Amino acid sequence: MTEVIVWSGWIGGLGIGLYALFQLLITGKVLGVSSGYCSLCGCFSRAAFFIEQKEKDGPLNWRLWFLLGLPLGGLLAAWTSPGPVVASFSLGELYDSVFPSAVWAKGLVLVAGGVLMGLGARMAGGCTSGHAISGMAMLNPPSILAAAGFFAGGTLMVQLLFWIFA
Amino acid sequence: MKRLVFLVLGTVFGFLLSRAGATTYDYYAKLFLFQDLQLLYVIATAAGIGMMGMAFIRRYRPRSVLEGQPITLEPKPFQKHLIPGSLVFGLGWGLAGACPGTALVMLGEGKLGALFTIIGLVMGTYIYGILVSRKLYPARQYTGAVATKVETKKAG
Repeated sequence: MTEVIVWSGWIGGLGIGLYALFQLLITGKVLGVSSGYCSLCGCFSRAAFFIEQKEKDGPLNWRLWFLLGLPLGGLLAAWTSPGPVVASFSLGELYDSVFPSAVWAKGLVLVAGGVLMGLGARMAGGCTSGHAISGMAMLNPPSILAAAGFFAGGTLMVQLLFWIFA
Repeated sequence: MKRLVFLVLGTVFGFLLSRAGATTYDYYAKLFLFQDLQLLYVIATAAGIGMMGMAFIRRYRPRSVLEGQPITLEPKPFQKHLIPGSLVFGLGWGLAGACPGTALVMLGEGKLGALFTIIGLVMGTYIYGILVSRKLYPARQYTGAVATKVETKKAG
């Protein structure tokens, strides 16, 4: 697995916070990722919900382009780290100790995690970036509640996971 | 040109997420096991910096560089199922050790497990979209409901 450089938490947070403001000042768009998955679905689905999302974002479809940039950022971060860039299915020491080791079985668990996040983000109206970072920065009560729910759900899942399988 | 701007912005955000440790699986497990609160510090600092900036933007209403329009901040509405939805999201967050943004960044770093997470994210979003489009799930965000609400407000 690629080992990337990790800054101390508050410096990382400072960078992300300043980035969110920079994006807002440059583009006028509030930082948020999960709606981009609606744009992605809009590429192949003609369902009314996705068409509506497309119309809301306009012909620029900025969310999709933003989403495409994210893996490039990951590649850049990996390249600029001292170790080699390694492609692997490893999930790190902790998750690998509780997940099945066969790639297909591990994959099924991760697909399930993704489905829960996809559904949950739409039900809540945002994800970690839209609610927990942008929403809390606006002191928006629904976002603060959503962020608390994210943490509660994550804690419940991981505590159970390590209590049962570790 | 504008598209390139968003592509570059995505790259910068992805890079910062990686440096913040948000693409390292172990930090998610350690966060929810209360062993290392790295990601909590990241979110808290980011939201704190954002708070100061947003207050500034609300006060002075600067114009965005790309659009030249004064920046408007529309806080997200309270969705009908916000609480169960946020819990469902959290369960997935803990299970996958990634969030919708970082899964894509991880893929760029060569963490191939993220590929499965991304497939799941697209599936979950797609299922929701289909359910809402067929009116099998009541979404407040859906324009039909919003339009009626605005009309009743005007009439009142």
